Amino acid sequence: MKKLLIFLLLIFAVSCAKPFTKPPEESVKPEETVKEEAIKPEEMESEVVEEVVIPAEEEITESAISAEEKAKSIFRDVMFDYDKYDIRPDARPVLDSVAAFLNENNEINIVIEGHCDARGTNEYNLALGEKRAKAAKNYLVSRGVSPTRIIVITYGEEKQLCNEQNELCWQKNRRAHFVVVKSRFY
Amino acid sequence: MNSELRTQNSELSLRQSSCKIRNLEIIIKSMGRSKRRLLFYFFCVLCSVFCALSPALAKIYIDITSPAIRQLPISIRTSGTPTSKQLESIVKNDLGFTGLFSFVDPDVPGAEIIADIKVEITDGLKVILSINDLIEGKEVLKKRYDASKIIIRPMAHTISNDIYKVVTGKKGIFRTKLSYLVNTAAGRKELRLMDWDGFRSMKVVSKGLTSSHSWSQDGSFLIYSAERSRKWKIYLLNLKRYREMVLFSSRGLNLVGGTSPDGLISLSSSKDGSPEIYVINIYGKGFKKLTRSFGIDVSPVFSPDGSKIAFVSDRGGSPQIYTMNLNGKGLKRLTFEGSYNTSPSWSPDDKWIAYTGRKNGKNQIFMLKSDGTDLRQLTFIGNNESPSFSPDGLFLAFDSDREVRRGIYIMRIHGEEQKRITPKNINAMSPKWSPYLK
Repeated sequence: MKKLLIFLLLIFAVSCAKPFTKPPEESVKPEETVKEEAIKPEEMESEVVEEVVIPAEEEITESAISAEEKAKSIFRDVMFDYDKYDIRPDARPVLDSVAAFLNENNEINIVIEGHCDARGTNEYNLALGEKRAKAAKNYLVSRGVSPTRIIVITYGEEKQLCNEQNELCWQKNRRAHFVVVKSRFY
Repeated sequence: MNSELRTQNSELSLRQSSCKIRNLEIIIKSMGRSKRRLLFYFFCVLCSVFCALSPALAKIYIDITSPAIRQLPISIRTSGTPTSKQLESIVKNDLGFTGLFSFVDPDVPGAEIIADIKVEITDGLKVILSINDLIEGKEVLKKRYDASKIIIRPMAHTISNDIYKVVTGKKGIFRTKLSYLVNTAAGRKELRLMDWDGFRSMKVVSKGLTSSHSWSQDGSFLIYSAERSRKWKIYLLNLKRYREMVLFSSRGLNLVGGTSPDGLISLSSSKDGSPEIYVINIYGKGFKKLTRSFGIDVSPVFSPDGSKIAFVSDRGGSPQIYTMNLNGKGLKRLTFEGSYNTSPSWSPDDKWIAYTGRKNGKNQIFMLKSDGTDLRQLTFIGNNESPSFSPDGLFLAFDSDREVRRGIYIMRIHGEEQKRITPKNINAMSPKWSPYLK
């Protein structure tokens, strides 16, 4: 009988012990959560590694684009009036920033293309286009750019940006256009 | 003798230049042919003597120099192979464009002269032409033509020239050609040649961007400006050998203008900064500067005797036509109407200068006397540019966008019969009429 009593007691003890062990269980939970957190950072780490790679790529392309854009924003077309080749006041800021850029980046040379709208005649427009490109060149030279860094070429009305018969399109075509070249000309 | 002719002909056709047709004038007595070379030469000399004498002796049916020109009623009768009809239509197109002829059915009375054309195709093309004055009842020309190849078009043009010569006493332009440009891609233009009626078009220069161009006065060279690798140079092309060489090269823009009977070439070069007028000789030597101005001086063309130059300058504030002597002196402004007058062409008889003028926002062909008087407008529809006189001074070639795409047109010098001669699916421009070609 005694043996049975001890056995029952033991069962009771164990069953009673459960409520007592609950707090440690609770303390285990934080451990588990800690474990989970410990796992997470691992996962996070792998994610972070990936993320590190991606932003790095993005950063590189971003910087490349911005440089191109910077050049683009600087080397904008210089516009001219119909049958004229003098530099308009609105073209001066464009040419000033081109000159500043060239004076900062001595390894860069440029080609200036002179263009005309299609209303004139072909031969005269070739001469007019050259006058426009040269006017732009002379302005840059007056701002300290060496003339040996600039080549001038005329295309007259031979390379049109658009073909509509309106002032918007004609104005687009009456331009001095910059082409950046890295190599030296001569 | 026949075999000799044949080898000559095949050589020529190999060169792709216009095939020559040997003319043998058969004087009505019909001389017997001999195989001996000596007699052949004697025959040639005899022919040339007759050719030289005949215009002085022959009656002129139409005097093209008279102010009131009448149309000559003419019958053209062809016989032989079916190709004779094709040949007939080419001849009629040639003669008809001059406005000097009215065609009468050969079976109906009313014609003053009749041209009988007998065509025979054996191993080559043989044609016999006989022109009869129906009023006086006599034969005025009899001629045999031999070609080793079946070249209908040049054959027809040669016959047209002979009929025209009999009727007017003047040389016909039906064997002449036009050089012109075709826009093949953005910033690319090739130089081509075609017959005066637009047929037998041929690519000559396809490299780069070809622009202004000019014939040498003997018709054996083309001189042209082209942009290749960002350089504008002037090139010279031998049309017999198809060999190109650089005639003039410098920094800046170099545009050829025209040629003189003394073998000079006028050009515009910006080698010293601003585009100025220069002359050089055909060897690229004898460089001479004729203008000194801050502005644009471009498109210089010689007067027919080579003593003067017409050109475009914006020295007065807008592009206008000026003339000057060959020493750069005697400057005279010719155009005062409008604010954009360019691309002059001097007529071969020295009387006229045709040019492109801007009027009501459109480019039109104008013509005025070389002293600046008697201004006439010749075109009215679309944009019309780049006039060029035919070597007889009776026709003008020009380009026009009146039918959407730019094409080459020809007309008589007072603006009649404006006719497109290039196909509608190409952009063709800047025609230059050749001198008389052999």
